[in-house]
Amino acid sequence: MLLLGTLFGSCKMEKVGPAAEAAKDISGNWKIIKATRNGADLTAIVDFSQFRLNFNQGKYTLVNKVPFLVGQNGTYALDDPKYPFKISFTAGTATPVATAFNFPIVNGARQLTLTFSPGCTNNTYVYVFQKSN
Amino acid sequence: MKQYLRIKGKGIWQLCALIVLGVALACCGEIITGVDQPGVATVGQVVPITVHIDIPTVGNGGPDYLIFGFLVPKGWKAAQNTTITYTSPTLGDGNMVLVPSTTLAKNGGGLNWPDDMKKTFGIGGNLIDDMEWVAYQTDKAFTHNGSEIKGDLNIQIKVGADNNDTQVKLGYVITDSGNGFTSDGNGTYYSEKITDCFSVTGGTGDFVDFCHPQLTTINPPKSLDNDYITLTFDGNVTTTALTGADVVYLCATAYTSDGQTIVVCEQTDKTKMVQMPDGSKKYQITFWPKSFFGTTDTQTIIKMDYFITDKTGATKVGYGNTSSPFEYNFKCS
Repeated sequence: MLLLGTLFGSCKMEKVGPAAEAAKDISGNWKIIKATRNGADLTAIVDFSQFRLNFNQGKYTLVNKVPFLVGQNGTYALDDPKYPFKISFTAGTATPVATAFNFPIVNGARQLTLTFSPGCTNNTYVYVFQKSN
Repeated sequence: MKQYLRIKGKGIWQLCALIVLGVALACCGEIITGVDQPGVATVGQVVPITVHIDIPTVGNGGPDYLIFGFLVPKGWKAAQNTTITYTSPTLGDGNMVLVPSTTLAKNGGGLNWPDDMKKTFGIGGNLIDDMEWVAYQTDKAFTHNGSEIKGDLNIQIKVGADNNDTQVKLGYVITDSGNGFTSDGNGTYYSEKITDCFSVTGGTGDFVDFCHPQLTTINPPKSLDNDYITLTFDGNVTTTALTGADVVYLCATAYTSDGQTIVVCEQTDKTKMVQMPDGSKKYQITFWPKSFFGTTDTQTIIKMDYFITDKTGATKVGYGNTSSPFEYNFKCS
């Protein structure tokens, strides 16, 4: 009896549960590392090096502008803090503009990929951002 | 001692060869045997086009649908402005219907039919990438039972929905939904026909020439001032005052919606057009018009005139190698 008690008592159940998903934090300065227009690479023929997209506490800032989802500074929001599918930008009092939120880890670093049409809707641009720190 | 196989009667060999050849010719694959298409039309006119087809089939295949692709300028909005019927003594008569964009092409590597057509056949030798393949299929399927299906596709298309005078090479492809654009030991399962330059006149918009090389082109062909545009000067088209130049420059005037004109005519890095690739005689510049012309947030550029100049700015080349400027309208349709 004592032996059995010791045997069962010596084991402790370990509870294994899924780790909580962290909220997606995009705050900081982002630079363009790749840009395409209708699938053709623009990175080598357009100077994107000065452009910065800054996210800070719900606000975004555009530095040295390029054609983008929005033309003015404003606020941004993710549709879900942990599992976002969309990011929306609101420039001043304008209607929010939303696009798909792609936030993969590539070579150990987060990338932010945004797809949009700043001019004609038939012309599609994809910008791939990386933190510029 | 060598021995040769001898079969009496040469005729047997000839007969066998003829049968094999006959099977090979009769076996498989859709063929466009001809296209009846007028050479000219006016904007808004409904143009009749007949595509003659021949489908030799072998036994135990299908049922498959006949797939038809029609290459047209995007601005014509052909999906909305076209009706196609088919007539065939063997298949019967019926309608060609648009293939949903969610339907994947057989052997198309995950692409839908229009995308697979563009990947396989390009834009049919046209020079401006503002064309689209519109994909149709028969409203009923046919079996491959060894019979030969002959018939006509009868197209009625209202041309020039964009109101532009146009010169374009229209294209036609056929295949079936069970094979796609493939070939194998039994034959080739598709057929393509690109016609000569078709001319549409009477429009009040731009003149769009898909057929003949132009001194300058703008990509994307349809864009606004908030797009990046790539302007290419092709020195191979004809001899101009700039022939042999290392670099050339853009000299442009923007016309805005509030009636302003903004001139950028300098010979600096900002306007420099570089040969890409080196030695190709094709000079290119990519820019964002809003930034290039320095418009305000409320200004919209509706039109741009431009010349190509040498590094002094004194030698200018204009539209058709004349002293008139090239013109480009910023619009999406």
